[in-house]
Parts: sequence; C-alpha cells; structure tokens
Amino acid sequence: MANPKKVIALPTTPQGQPWEPVHTPARFRNPLSKYRVYRSESKCIKCGKCVELCPYGVFTKAGKYLRKPKSYLCLGFECQKKPFYCVANCPAQALRVHQHPVYNTLGDCRWNGDLLLSTWWQAEWGNLPYTDVEYRTGGSGGGFDRLRFLFPPRRGGAKIDHRDISLGVDLNRRGDGRPQIRVGVPWYGGGMSFGSVSINTIISRVQAAKNFNTLVSTGEGGYPEELYPYDDHMVTQVATGLFGVREDTLQRVRMIEFKYAQGAKPGLGGHLLGDKVTPAVARMRESVTGSALFSPFPFHSVYSVEDHKKHIDWMKEINPRALISVKVSTPTDVDMVAVGSYYAGAHVVQLDGSYGGTGAAPDIAKKNIAMPIEYAIPKVHQFLKAEGIREEVTLVASGGIRSAFDVAKAIALGADLVQIGTADLVALECLRCHNCESGRGCARGIATTDPELVDLMTISYGAARISNLYYAWSWQLKEILGLLGLRSIRELVGRTDLLIHLDYFDKAVDDDVRERA
Amino acid sequence: MKSSNHNHHGLRLWETRKEFQPIYPYDRVIKGEDEGGCGVTGFAASVPVAGRHIFQPSIQMHNRGNGKGGGIAAVGLDPETLGVSQEILDQDYLIQIAYLDSEARAQVEAQFITPVFKVEHAQSIPTMDNWRDLKGLEVCPPEVWRYFVRVKTEVLQHFIQANKLYGIPARKVEDEFVSQNCYRLNETFYASLGEKKAFVLSQGRNIMILKIVGYAEEAALYYQLLDFKAHIWIAHQRYPTRGRVWHPGGAHPFAALNVALVHNGDFANYFAVSEYLSQRHFYPQFLTDTEVAVLTFDLWNRLYGYPLEYVIESMAPTTERDFDLLSLERQRVYRQLQSANIHGSPDGPWFFIIARNDPDAQKFELIGITDTSMLRPQVFALQDGEVQIGLICSEKQAIDATLASLAAEDPRFCPVADLYWNARGGSATDGGSFIFSLEPHNGQRVLTCKDKFGTPKVVPWYQRPWDGTVPEIGEEPDEELTRQVAALLEDVSGQEFFQWVKPRVLKWSYASFVDVLQTAVAQARKGDNLKAAAINGLTLLLDRRYDPGDKKRSHLLRLIMDALTSIFQDTPKIGKAKKSRFHRVDWDTRDKLAHPTQADQVLVLDAAAFPPEGDDCDARFLCRAFELGWRQFITYGYKGQRFLGCGFGLNTDEVRIDAYGSTGDYLASGIDGMTIQIHGNAQDQLGQIMKRGKLVIHGDVGQTFMYGAKGGEVYVLGNAAGRPLINAVGRPRVVINGTALDFLAESFMAGDPFKGGGLVIVNGLEYDARGRIRPQATPYPGSNLFSLASGGAIYVRDPYNQLVDEQLNGGELVPLTDADWELILPYLQENEKLFDIDIEKDLLTVDGDIRPPAEVYRKVRPVKLAILTKVEDSWE
Repeated sequence: MANPKKVIALPTTPQGQPWEPVHTPARFRNPLSKYRVYRSESKCIKCGKCVELCPYGVFTKAGKYLRKPKSYLCLGFECQKKPFYCVANCPAQALRVHQHPVYNTLGDCRWNGDLLLSTWWQAEWGNLPYTDVEYRTGGSGGGFDRLRFLFPPRRGGAKIDHRDISLGVDLNRRGDGRPQIRVGVPWYGGGMSFGSVSINTIISRVQAAKNFNTLVSTGEGGYPEELYPYDDHMVTQVATGLFGVREDTLQRVRMIEFKYAQGAKPGLGGHLLGDKVTPAVARMRESVTGSALFSPFPFHSVYSVEDHKKHIDWMKEINPRALISVKVSTPTDVDMVAVGSYYAGAHVVQLDGSYGGTGAAPDIAKKNIAMPIEYAIPKVHQFLKAEGIREEVTLVASGGIRSAFDVAKAIALGADLVQIGTADLVALECLRCHNCESGRGCARGIATTDPELVDLMTISYGAARISNLYYAWSWQLKEILGLLGLRSIRELVGRTDLLIHLDYFDKAVDDDVRERA
Repeated sequence: MKSSNHNHHGLRLWETRKEFQPIYPYDRVIKGEDEGGCGVTGFAASVPVAGRHIFQPSIQMHNRGNGKGGGIAAVGLDPETLGVSQEILDQDYLIQIAYLDSEARAQVEAQFITPVFKVEHAQSIPTMDNWRDLKGLEVCPPEVWRYFVRVKTEVLQHFIQANKLYGIPARKVEDEFVSQNCYRLNETFYASLGEKKAFVLSQGRNIMILKIVGYAEEAALYYQLLDFKAHIWIAHQRYPTRGRVWHPGGAHPFAALNVALVHNGDFANYFAVSEYLSQRHFYPQFLTDTEVAVLTFDLWNRLYGYPLEYVIESMAPTTERDFDLLSLERQRVYRQLQSANIHGSPDGPWFFIIARNDPDAQKFELIGITDTSMLRPQVFALQDGEVQIGLICSEKQAIDATLASLAAEDPRFCPVADLYWNARGGSATDGGSFIFSLEPHNGQRVLTCKDKFGTPKVVPWYQRPWDGTVPEIGEEPDEELTRQVAALLEDVSGQEFFQWVKPRVLKWSYASFVDVLQTAVAQARKGDNLKAAAINGLTLLLDRRYDPGDKKRSHLLRLIMDALTSIFQDTPKIGKAKKSRFHRVDWDTRDKLAHPTQADQVLVLDAAAFPPEGDDCDARFLCRAFELGWRQFITYGYKGQRFLGCGFGLNTDEVRIDAYGSTGDYLASGIDGMTIQIHGNAQDQLGQIMKRGKLVIHGDVGQTFMYGAKGGEVYVLGNAAGRPLINAVGRPRVVINGTALDFLAESFMAGDPFKGGGLVIVNGLEYDARGRIRPQATPYPGSNLFSLASGGAIYVRDPYNQLVDEQLNGGELVPLTDADWELILPYLQENEKLFDIDIEKDLLTVDGDIRPPAEVYRKVRPVKLAILTKVEDSWE
C-alpha cells in the first residue's frame, strides 16, 4: 500500500482503543484528481516499467494486464524532476500527465478543488497527501484563507512528542455541579438532522465521534432509535420547530443544544422541502409525508432573554445531568448574546458564522447576513474576558471550519473548540454540488433519505472515512502545537499573536506541517 | 394667535426644540445593550396603597430579571409623606435627580434648579443606613434628591417671548420648559460626558420614579418606600445582558413629564424609531428601547395632542382583517396615523405598562399595551367592590401575589380578581390595550377600565364582596348541617355534595356558604374517604360555574380555596402519617420523602416555599417522588413555580396530578401518559412537546400553548392566548371551549385526523356572571387560523357562519360530515364530563333549537399549498 507517511500516535482517549487509520478507498470508480495520467492503449507495449518505477502506486498490474492508472495518487508535474518520472521513462511514449479537466470545475471558492481532494485523501488514508494539493486552506481569498500561523524557525532535534500533547477540552467550566464532559479532540459534529442527511451518514459520524471520544449533534429531526447505543456521544438539538424533541430523548444525552439560528441562514428558520419528507422522516418528526416542514424563526416561546433563561431552566429540569449548549448566529451584537446566554445558564455558547450551511441554505442568505466567524470569535472572546466570565464559558465556533488549520485558527482567535459539519460530509465524498435539497436529495447518498440513494453508502465505510479524517486532523493539530512549543490545545486559546493576516504581512509564510522530503 | 387648537399649540412648542442638537452622532445611535427580557407589573387602586405590595410580585418575578436593574414608579402620591401640601403636590413638578457623584449636586442645582425654578420643597430621599445590608446589591444606589418646583415667572416669560409662544396656555409652556430643562440637565451631566454624574429620574406632577442596580423591590427597600402610599405602582425587573452595570440610568421605568413607562421586550427597529424621533428633535440619552418608547408617547400625546386611542394606534397599528373590521371613519384616521408614524412604531416583541398623571383631566391612569403580534406575555385583571383595583402583569402569578399581599393587610381586597383577561394586540375588538383610570368622585378616586376604543370592562354591579366575617362556631355546631354534609360526603366523587350546594348558592349569604365549607373541612378530618370526598366536592365548587346570586364569584373562589387549603394543611406530614393514605410534604420536610407504603397513597405537596426553577424546584422534587413510586399528587400553594409535570420520562400513565394555585410556565411540557388537572387559570407555554396524556385546564391558558406538541388529550374550559398549538405534529386532540386570541394551529402538521392525526375543537363559548354558557361575539376573532397547516383539522362551533376565508391561510372551510361528528363526539363527551358543558343543551342548541351537528360545527382542513410541496426556485 502506498502510504509514504509514517503513522503517529493519536490522542489517547479514556475509553476504547485509539483509532488506527484504515485504508478506505473511494466508493466510486475513477476517483477525481488534480492530475490525470493518460496511458495510450495503442502505444503501450505493456512492459510494466511504469509499475516498477512509480513509488506511489499509480500503476498496477492485474496478471499481465495493466489497470487503468490511479491518477489521484500521482505527484503531478512535480514528478518531472524525479528520476522515476514515468512519462520520461516510458519506452513507448505511451504516457502523458496533464491537469485533469474536472479539477477546475470542482468545488467552489470556499471548498476548492484542492481542499476537496486533500480532504478526500485524508479520509481515505488518514494522513496528508504528498501531492501538491493544498490541504490547509480553500480559495475564498478571505477569512481563514488569509490567516496564517507564524511558526518559529524549526530547530533541528527536540520536537515535543505527540504523546505529550493534549487535545482534550472540558465542556463544563461553570462549576455548577453538573457532570464534566471532556472531549478528546477540539471539535465535535454539528447538527445535521435525520431528514437532511441519511441515517447512515448520522451513524457514520457518531461512530467516528465515539472513536475520538467526542460528540455529534442530532440536528433538528428527532432522535432515531439507531442512535440509542451512542447516547453518550450524542448532543440532541432543540430547535425552533421542536421536531422530534421528546422528553425521553432529552433525557438520554449528556448535552442538549438549543439552536436559535444558523449562521448560514440567520432569521430564516429551517425548511425541509416536501420531497425529502419521506415516510421515515415524517414518522420521526410525526408530520405529514410529502409536506414541507418549517422550523420557524425564532422560538415562538422565546422572544427575550428571560424567556431564554426559562427555556434553559426547562431543559435542566428535564435532564439534571445534561450540559446546555446555545447555538446562535453572529449578528453584530453577538457578544451581548453570548454574555446573555452565559447568564441564562448555558455551559457552551456556540457561534455559528456565515460560511457554513449545506446546499439547503439559500444562497442569498449564506455569507450575506451573519458576521464572518473570524470576526465574531475574537469579538466574543474579548468581551467575555472584559466581563470576567471567559473562564466559565466554553466557546464553540462553527460555520465553515474545513480543515485542521481552520480548527487551530479558530482556537487561536479565542474559541475553545469548534463544531464541524460539511467537512464530515466531504469525508464521505460530498462533491459540494449544492443540490442537497433538490428532489430526492444527494446523488452520492449522503444528504438524502431516499431508500435507494441511502444504500449508496455503508456505515463501515462512512465511519472509517470520517475517523481517518479526524486522525489526520489530530496529527496536524499536534504538529501545529508542537511547532509552536505548546503542549495542550488549551494553551492556544486566544493566542492571536501567533497568527498573521496576509493583508498586513508581506514576507513569505510557510506553515506547511508535512515533513520535507 | 388666538387659536385654541391643541395641535397648533403643541407644534409651536415643539418648534422650540429645533435648536436641540443630537447628542450622539448619526451612526452612533445604537442600543447600549440588548435586553429582551423583563418582568413587568403594575396596579392602580382606588385607595392609596403602600409600596410594600409591589414587593411580593417583584420577588416572584425574579426569574424574569437578573438583578442588574429594577425600578418602580408611583403616581397619585400622599402629600403628607412627602412633607408638602396637597396643592403643591398637585401643582408643582416633582423632579427627582439621581446623583451618581454626590459632589455634582451643587453644580446641578446652580445650573439647572435654582436659576430657573422656584423650589417649594427639596429633600434628599431617605435611604437605608447601609446599602450593603441589602445582600443583592453590588453597587451603592445613587443619592436621590427630590425637588418640588415651579418655573420662575420671569424665566417662563422669557421663554415665551424668546420663542413667541403667545396665546398658548401657560401650563403647557411650563411643561415644555421643564421637559427641555431636564433634557439639558441630562445632556450636561449624563449623556454627553464620558463621566456620568447625575441624571433626572422623573420630572412630572404627582409622579415619581426610583431605580436601582438590583431587583425592583430593593429600590423599594433601599429608598424606604414600604409604607409610602400611592394610587398607582408599576415595577420592572430588568434583564440586561451586560454583566457589569454600575448605575441605574438604564433601568426602567423611564419618564417623560407626567408619564412613566416600563417595557418587556425588544425593539427590532430601535434605529428607525430613534431616527423618527430625531427628525422631530427628540434625542435619546440613555440608548434603550424603553426611553424611545416613552419619548414617542410624549411626542404624540403632549405635543401632537393625540388622544390616547391614537397614541395606542400609532404604537400598535391595527392590521390585516382587524383593520377591515374597523368603522370607515376609524380606518381613515388610522390609515393616516399609520402612514405618518409607522417609523416611530416599535417593531418586535414588546409590552408596555404606562403609569401617568393627566392633571388636566384630574386622572391617574394605568395603561397596558401589547404589540400587534402579542409576542410578550400579558395578563390584565380587575377587582371591583368597596375598593377597586386594576392590575397588569407579565404573569398571572404576579397579579395573584399582589392581591394576596393586599388582602393580607386590608380585608377589602380579595386574593382573587373578578376578571382576568388578555388583550388582543392591534385588534378591532379591544385594540390590544386597556386603560385603568382613577378619577375623583365625591372626594374619592373611582376606578374605571376601558379598552382602546373606550368600551368599558365591567363586573356586575349587584354582586357584593364578602365582608370578611367568619360565622362564630358555637358550642354546639349545627348538627343538622353536619349530618347533611356528612351524608353528602358519602359519595367520594364529591358530586352529591356539589350538586346539593350548587343550586343553593344563589340564595345563600356568604355566612351560610362559609358555614357549609367549614362543615366540609371538619368532616374531612374524620377519615380518608371523607377527606377525598370533601376535596373532590370543593374542587367541583372551585372549577364549575354556577349562579352566585348577589355574591362575587371571586370571593366564593377565595373561600373555597381557603377551605381546600385548610384540608390540605390538615393532612399529616410525611413520616408521621400512620393511617391516612394522604401525606403532606413541604419545603422543610422534603428530605423525609420515602417510598409510599401502599399504591394508592396520595402525596400532598405544599409548593409555596420551593424555588420556581433549578435543581431544588418542586417539579424536580416530584420527579424524585415518582422514582420512589408515588403516583398520585395533589399540589397547592403555587406562586408561579415552573415545569410541573416535566421530567418524569416515559410511560407515566398511572400518574395523576391535581394542581391548585398560581401554577407556572411550561407545565405539562413533554409529558407522556400522565393526567394533570389544573384547577384555575394556567400561565404560558403549557404542554410544549407534549407527547401523550391528559391535561385539563379549568380556566384560561396563556401564550404558545402546546407549541410543538406531539399528542395528548387536552381540555381547556376557557380561552387560549396567542399562538396555541403552533408547529404541533402527531396526534394532539384538543378541546378549547373558549377561543384563542390569534395564530391558532399555525403550521399544524398533525396528519390525517381520521387516521389518528390531530385535531382542535374550538367552541367559542364563555360564561356570563350568572354562570350560564353563551357564545362569544365571534367564535374566533383572529386573522390567522391554521396558517400554513399541512395536517390535522380544526372544528369550530360556528352556527352563524361567522368564520370567513380571509381568516385562513392554507386551510379551507368545509361542511361537517357524519364521520367528522363521530370523530369529535368522544372528545365532546369527555368535555361534558369534565366541565358540564352539555352537548345537546349547550353545544347543539342554537337560538333555543337543537340543530344537527353539521349546522353548528364547521371544519377547517388543510389544502395542499404549492409553497409546501414544490421546490422553491427563487432561492437558487
């Protein structure tokens, strides 16, 4: 197996064995790639030299036949200088390497082709690609994509051992007698409801969460029975439609999440179109098959902060051991909202910035209403500090966290941890085609409840892909911390001094954590 | 210049403001902080009452504030306490100034008081010796000085001449001068300085405001107002989101001359309202919603000269179908008001309580106004009798607390009000506003209550209050009565007792009634069965309606509740009971709770001392009792404690809770199987996400009742307020015998009622003062019924076809079929059993004739809306 990166120990979690990456190749033939290796059948003499030469396993033999080249493993143009460059070495000049025509059409600015490809790679292998696809940032030209870590010059020798670096985060910092939840990695899965995504997707996510001792939110769509074995890793969401919110499911979990608004579509509530309300979804939400479901905005019972406190008190009464998380979008006065939530009794305040959202969120709302998350985090962090309560709130950032570097940047800006959504789906080979809400849903069987489409993906595949991604992210975070000389992710919180913004920095910055060849 | 046109005067006065400069630059007029929250309470009484009575309701609404701001206002003060004559109190402006920096007083007085005012009386307001004695306070409240002043004649003359204000009544000019002077004072010593030194708390005649960084009642305590008497009190618990607040400038109430306003809610268009005001030379100084609200009131009322109705219309415009229902003349005026003032009209959730003195009309007024969408909770109440009182609060429990506090001191007050109701915001029926006016009559103040349109709210004149006397219990109790009651209580259901009492109440005096109650209480001590029978019988007397004759129903209820409470109190305490299956537990004995020894034991919980929420609240205590095996509960003594019935978990079919008193919000939310009976009115947010079980409310129910409910059988004797059953799914089956204010069953998604889906039956009935059922003016007054609904059905008793298509948005009216009738009949039968609302006699009889169901009931069912099924292209 072509896996040139060494495997490094992963965050030790208090329960279960640490996850070891499992090679989980794409579900679809001919994985998409940046470069395309073309072998002319007519010219090829099937000498097998390319198979011998290429150390990355692009070429394989089946008996005496050569398989179609696995282009996504190819180093690309960089290989031209290598002695084993197949094109140069092919005795029959049957090989060509060029940029894949699909590459330029792949993804969008936030999730550009490189980021999709590198995330797929991480989900397949559990490590970083050796090719020149960018794995840290997307192509938006703003936000996290303009922020860089400024690593101190690498000194040879003593690097902090990954085993000595902690990624764990405590979620209950109020000291109010409620149980502590310590997540093994500084992220947990954001809410995607049963209905918006398939049950296989949900279980894949929660299995990965379990592997890394973290959590995943149900979203607003009920708590399917299939999730009962994972109660300790579930966060159940109470959103404005109250769909599928039942006392017994609220009592199952360790954390309850109020969703007031989503950064992708603040002020718009939720909307599940009729086509996606299949009999199974309708049963879970106890609604009418085929009729669209609206989650209103806001809660009809919460029009002010004292209502909000009452709402939290209600959940605390129902489940005396649960922590309370409050998910809000990022309006200009988000700092006030965060403080208000803290005083109302929330353990976790989650800021959902404007970059997130699946294809179901209206384009006109995405990026146009809420504040970008990289502005919201420091604003809230500073405000909470000034109020003297920063140490008692767990601040979660979400909305467009795509890579391990985004995680680290969000934390350096002032968050304690992050919530991710789309990245999980990309690990499952989401293409960012933005058609989540159309017709029967996702063509790749991720964001759908259509029985046929759901079967496009198995849980073992999904769980392994997401776990591999988490593994790769953990590795990168530890590298980042190690390079910065930090032993715990907690030490990174609010360290804006470690970041630079490219608009105000004219020297070259290299924050690649891959080992140099 | 001889015009007597008020508007003309007002506008000329207003023109003198043109030299005012905005304090904050255009782009800086943003709210100082977000505050949704708050609890508001207020009352107006025909006799002056002491400030201590605002105390209990304020404490009970602590959970609506966070102790970072509280305040009170009083109107109609007592001259003696203030150390002035009645004349000075009536004629002089009572200016109260808070000195954040005590050094500033000399400066303020030298600049804004002594040069312009003739000061008739000045004093520092007495306070507690040490503010640290009030545990809740984090900052020292400011020193407050009170000045009784008139504007110096020469100063006023100069003001008139300088601004050419000839011909305007001098008092109006003086009002404007005082208002501007206070504005300038604030500008100099508060708003424009980085350093805030002093600000005006209130400046009107016979009205005063005090506020504090703390809870409202702490203002009353600190400034020693417990025995301070006034006709009208309003209080506010503030919930600012910012943690550190060092002075009470931003706390409510806010004043504009003779008006004090408290507010619960949050404006979405604060900027627009501020702009509207600054275009009219009114500039906010404290940057809160409440301040701009009171400024718009002042502008419209005092300077534009709008009558109260127009002020209310400008604040909460009449919309939708309600607008069409107005008279053409009103439509014409309202349309103009709306066009002119819509930008000054607060948008978003809000509820105002306003106290004001109207010296020209010699009136003190207490006004409650709700926003058009009724997004904040509000309850009004009226008590008539020897003394009269009108109350407005965020929660009913605060009304009950006020009345209980008053009744404990003065027997002329009753702990139960004669009427409780909600206003329907921006409506053609009541305009979403009620005004309690206190006018002088024969040397006393007389209270009247009217809605926005001037329609009075009255209670029957011939019904007299109980005089507070309890018949002497002689050596020999009335053996005949004792035998009679004992025999009636053989029937454990209490029905025989009730049926015997019911027709006799009409003729009885209060004394005879009390006699019977006391006999029942005495019988209840003699054994479990008699006790159960007495409880059941008295509960029927409490819940059912009957003709009280010349007595007040509210006073009968109070007596019945007293009797029930003494039966509950007689119950042996837990741990001590040996023979009885009733066990009483309260806050002090809560740790003694153990497993019940027999299955049929009843836990009687005195909830009074339990906190309203949190780990120690009574609702959690009941969950523990349930885990220990208790299944039957009688709970009483509520003061708004929340979440009753929540947290029991799955399959609680054996549980039965009977709740008495002022039960709180979120009751029965999420229940799965249990039965809860509420003997009285209920508050807001009941039955959220309710899954299964039975909820019976022997009264009205508040806002967003059964939001997101999944099922359950629910019976409401009275009305539901705004937005009942919104977003409900599954299979709720609900009978509302009254009606709902608006937005009933919006986004209802409860399947097909014939295949187990949900339905709501609205009977649109009410009781008259003699306990007779009659139809309400319209079975459903709102403009939105079943909007965007995709499942379920609504059955409306509408024999006169008053419901029209314009009220529906996504539903259609269809005739009732036999299958429909078969479907709803069992619920009407249960309704009959619970409330004695007879299907034939009360529901199907129209104008004296029994009609077939199809002529009485109409069905609303969903239509498939394109918007609900088609992919919406416009977003892409």
